[in-house]
Amino acid sequence: MNKLFVGIANAAEAGHHAPVATIFGIEISSYTTSMWLVMALLIGVSFLATRDLKWFASGLQNFLELVVEKLLNFLSEVMGEEKARKYFPYLATVFIFILVMNYCSLLPGSGTISWLTTPTSTLSVTVGLALCTFSVTHFFGIKEKGLSYFKHFFQPYPFLFPLNIVEEIVKPLSLSLRLFGNIFGEKMIGMTLFSMIPLIVPLPAYFLGILFGAIQAYVFTLLSAIYIHTATDGHH
Amino acid sequence: MPLNGIIAIAAALAIGLSTIGPGLGQGKAASSAMEAMGRQPEAAGEIRTSLILALAFMEALTIFGLLIAFMLVGNIN
Repeated sequence: MNKLFVGIANAAEAGHHAPVATIFGIEISSYTTSMWLVMALLIGVSFLATRDLKWFASGLQNFLELVVEKLLNFLSEVMGEEKARKYFPYLATVFIFILVMNYCSLLPGSGTISWLTTPTSTLSVTVGLALCTFSVTHFFGIKEKGLSYFKHFFQPYPFLFPLNIVEEIVKPLSLSLRLFGNIFGEKMIGMTLFSMIPLIVPLPAYFLGILFGAIQAYVFTLLSAIYIHTATDGHH
Repeated sequence: MPLNGIIAIAAALAIGLSTIGPGLGQGKAASSAMEAMGRQPEAAGEIRTSLILALAFMEALTIFGLLIAFMLVGNIN
């Protein structure tokens, strides 16, 4: 069992660089700095776009409005207009954040510059995101339904309680492993192809990377939306 | 060292075998979804959403196999 964890640690840390910096004894890895870069980018773009809001939007503001509208439409299809508006801040943030983090691997120098890499290609980041969804789901469930939220652990039959618990634990596990496995696998395929033939040949892998990055962000948001929807769904 | 060879074969089998089932399942799901889209083009959006959801659940099985393969490869010394 111990060897298993060493193995998964090796796999997760393959291509891991030495910590970039140390602040108050906490090691800052390249994944953290890349996430800071993504955060700075998102905050900067949103700030620039909303600094001078106009009724008839154009340029950057127009683009962001399009993104928000499309996301709202997509979430409305899954959980209904009212709920989609209510839980929009969390779900849209998760989608945009994961999408931009996945696309970090397309930046020139990603993986070779010591402070730039794909944050979602480490298990720590994806487990963190999945735990966010996990806690948010139960928080909204309890907030919406009160103590009667815990009744759904005993449905349809009380003796299925252990199975329901296992189901709840498997949700964040599969959510994080799916994102990590896809992005990490994609990165590995690109690196392997690049080390064999550096010209032209890795290109299809990168196009697939664009596709899978978007699909994984989409799937993560879709599943989070469905989990929140089922947790806050009233029995009527 | 023969142990490393056995681990390498185990890794190859882990990912190789775990692609077969989800591959068949995804093919079946995609073909049915496309048939449904052809029959009812107006419902294409809804079908696509549930198709991607179904594919993601099947994809997870392959990803577990891939992860096991990576763990095994990490044990080769």
